[in-house]
Amino acid sequence: MSARESILRAVRDARPAVEALPSAVMRPREVAQSHHELSATFVAAARSAGADVVETGASEIGAVVQAIVADAELGAFICDGVLGVAENGAVWLPLSRLRDRAEAFLADHVVIVLDREAIVADMHEAYARIDPRAEVFGTFMAGPSKTADVEQSLVIGAHGPRRVTVVLRG
Amino acid sequence: MSVDHRKAAAAFLADETRADWHDAALWWVRTKRDVMAQSVPEWEALRDTASAIKEHTLSRLDEYLERFERNAIANGIHVHWARDAAEHNAIVHGILARAGARRIVKSKSMLTEECGLNPYLEARGVEVVDTDLGERIVQLRGEAPSHIVMPAIHLRKEEVGETFHEHLDTPAGLANPIALAGAARIHLREKFLAADAALTGANFAIAESGGFVVCTNEGNADLGMAIAPLHIASIGIEKVIPRAADLGVFLRLLARSATGQPVTVYSSHIHGAEPGRAVHVVLVDNGRSTQLGREDFWRSLKCIRCGACMNTCPIYRRSGGHSYGSTIPGPIGSVLTPGIDLERYASLPFASTLCGSCTAVCPVKIDLDAQLYRWRQRVTSAGYGGRKKTVLATAMARVLERPPLFARGGALARRTLRVLPSRARRALSGAWGQSRDLPEMPRQSFREWYRAERGAHGS
Repeated sequence: MSARESILRAVRDARPAVEALPSAVMRPREVAQSHHELSATFVAAARSAGADVVETGASEIGAVVQAIVADAELGAFICDGVLGVAENGAVWLPLSRLRDRAEAFLADHVVIVLDREAIVADMHEAYARIDPRAEVFGTFMAGPSKTADVEQSLVIGAHGPRRVTVVLRG
Repeated sequence: MSVDHRKAAAAFLADETRADWHDAALWWVRTKRDVMAQSVPEWEALRDTASAIKEHTLSRLDEYLERFERNAIANGIHVHWARDAAEHNAIVHGILARAGARRIVKSKSMLTEECGLNPYLEARGVEVVDTDLGERIVQLRGEAPSHIVMPAIHLRKEEVGETFHEHLDTPAGLANPIALAGAARIHLREKFLAADAALTGANFAIAESGGFVVCTNEGNADLGMAIAPLHIASIGIEKVIPRAADLGVFLRLLARSATGQPVTVYSSHIHGAEPGRAVHVVLVDNGRSTQLGREDFWRSLKCIRCGACMNTCPIYRRSGGHSYGSTIPGPIGSVLTPGIDLERYASLPFASTLCGSCTAVCPVKIDLDAQLYRWRQRVTSAGYGGRKKTVLATAMARVLERPPLFARGGALARRTLRVLPSRARRALSGAWGQSRDLPEMPRQSFREWYRAERGAHGS
């Protein structure tokens, strides 16, 4: 018997009585948040995660991004986020938006351009809108890399990017 | 060789300053978790849902494993099955050998720790570099991780400084965390860039889509996966969840419970390999199907490895992860490990006051304290509880069953303990009495007082 057959048989024999699968969609909030409230929550959460957030109108976006890049000592990696999650400041970035995964994670400074209207309230709403299977890779990125492994002292910048700027457009 | 948690804990506590510092550090993480839990109004509903999703999945685990395999293969991911640690190690080595991979970077995977993968690969000429900063620190020191999320929580920054001075050539006496993390970044970047393969674990494997999720703060897993052409993920069979939508529930609970963050910096989803690269998954049983068949203990397989139970446990905080002698320490370790070898790990279910704090913080509502209690009964029935406990418990049962004997014994104890010198009192009061004072002995028992009162005033 192969390991596969052996394991499946052992699991089949051992498994407890069937329990029902609940919905993963949590009860929606009573009051839907406005885009303004959602982006305010997102900005606070992103900053709390160590990201810089710049809010700008659609027409100035090019100049704003150029200024950030010019300022970046060790270069910057620019990408467009698909959506932002207000409760935790994360941005969904599938491979197509990252283009080169290695470059994205080796970069010192990542600049994410995100439409203000592409911000959702929480992870449940995020998963309702994205299809992780559509691409071989996708990540929720919430701020710069960090570690607290040296005596619980928070250090911003571990192995991934040391700085993240989210440019909110619209 | 049995693990004697009490003895190891006593050794840990001998350094009171360090024990107090370790205790405070872990409790601080617990309080950060509380802030998060209190800020999410639907926190309890999330826990209920997460628990129900996991229990359902475990009740149909074989079906979900098959579904995961089918969809993963359709995504171009290679799927392997390992009955135990030995098979897992052989499979991983086989994949590496066929690819000619000799320099590996590995992100945090307690499963690979459980299987003893590093020494197995190193003995076969493969260099394995643990890239999570905490894991790299303990790897350089030749130690095991002491916590599943914060592997180096037992070390002071000066000790990290010494280790880096010895292995990474940082200046002697350098203990600044930012500088030390910076030195590790430079050192590990070389390893990432030169790696032939990246090994990771997985936090969740999604049955409906055939992919898996890796959550980190440091970006080490992502760097490894992005650069190396070969990626191998070791995944315990209990990590499977039915739907991508379920991640909404679990990712909202995981980091809040583990570190008090709303989410980890990176929550990376892998559903295949880029052109010219390969992704392999090794599904590992290693005792999980046996635990699944245990009516009293299968719910421990719901664990999402957040570490919240360790952070809150007063015993863990004041004895440290190494005192458990098992890959996974703390309350969850104490309900998972005895199933592997009851005699060797007999002391673990007793490394508890049964306060229930672990159960209260578990994001997937594992009945940890109830399972600890049930393991104690198994240990004692099997005869591994220690003769002293059995003798005392039997004697106590005899006295408690006989009210007149209880009354006489109580009266004798009250009279004797009142006149005994404190040194003698301490000697009679076991481990408990060594750092606690016995209460003042009253002149009368309640029963004696009641009878006297009733007698004085009539009934």
